[in-house]
Amino acid sequence: MATVRIPTPLRTLTGGEDQVQAAGDTVKDVIESLEKNHPGIRERLLDDKGVRRFVNIYVGDEDIRFLDGLATALKASDEISIVPAIAGG
Amino acid sequence: MSISSPERDALQHKSALVVGVGGLGCPVALALVEAGIGRLVLCDDDLVDSTNLHRQILFDESDVGTDKLEAAQRALYRSGARPGSIELVHSRFLPENARDLARTVDVVIEGADNFATKFLCADACFLEQRPVVHGAAVRLRATVLCVAAAGAPCYRCLFEDLPSGPAAPNCAEAGVLGPVVGFAGALMADRALSVLLGNTHVFGNLVSFDGKDDRARELTLAARPHCALCSSERSITTITFERYTAASCAA
Repeated sequence: MATVRIPTPLRTLTGGEDQVQAAGDTVKDVIESLEKNHPGIRERLLDDKGVRRFVNIYVGDEDIRFLDGLATALKASDEISIVPAIAGG
Repeated sequence: MSISSPERDALQHKSALVVGVGGLGCPVALALVEAGIGRLVLCDDDLVDSTNLHRQILFDESDVGTDKLEAAQRALYRSGARPGSIELVHSRFLPENARDLARTVDVVIEGADNFATKFLCADACFLEQRPVVHGAAVRLRATVLCVAAAGAPCYRCLFEDLPSGPAAPNCAEAGVLGPVVGFAGALMADRALSVLLGNTHVFGNLVSFDGKDDRARELTLAARPHCALCSSERSITTITFERYTAASCAA
């Protein structure tokens, strides 16, 4: 099970939890697992082209764009971070 | 970073533009003044509101309802800004003034509260070949990105374009926590001073801070191969109003 860190704007979908566990061999699998337990989260992360353009997903400290994208393979100890664009201050 | 005497002397001849004198811009401006910057341009068109005071550290109760830039200027001169070193632009950072404003300074520090201004600033700075420090803070999360004058990697390498549609960040959920904004503002000032003093290691550096567990992650961003702004295939070569009309997400 990978650990997924949930950013503030998406915590309404995870019952306020800032990190959740999700099963999957790849990032895409984990997102599908998240969708089962937290419906609506997939649409916030993906569109028909892949990861939405104002969202970045990291495995550890690596942006998946520079790994294998949604096909990036995961280890059980991996931590996935979702970083959406934010504006404020 | 600490400022040595020779560096302080060098900063006398440097200039910076602060886009948005809010929770991020206030600590940035104060830090640059305290470091001895020679010319500081502040760009904003807002009034001080009582809800600003917990995080916009240049203002106090007596400033509420007054022009934000005038109040900031008074505070910065009280803090020791060089006489005549603070310039005020009573306007939003807009397509019609963006490139002119960026062109006149050595670094731009962008702490805008909306996505349109962030992308406009990224584009204007790239087109004018000016380094830019982008910062944002919403609730417990903050990000700071430093972009070189040469451009790549740039803000559009990180986030390709303005959020839109039903999956865009929900502005109604946003709020701002003073210490988190202060952390981000201080880091933005640190990055700006690094740029002004010629330290190139900060370019492409992205810091993402989560105030819930006080964890800051630092990444070196890679350029997006097909970036619309900074790649060889770039499509953004001018500033056009239509490109920056998505809804804002003020916090």
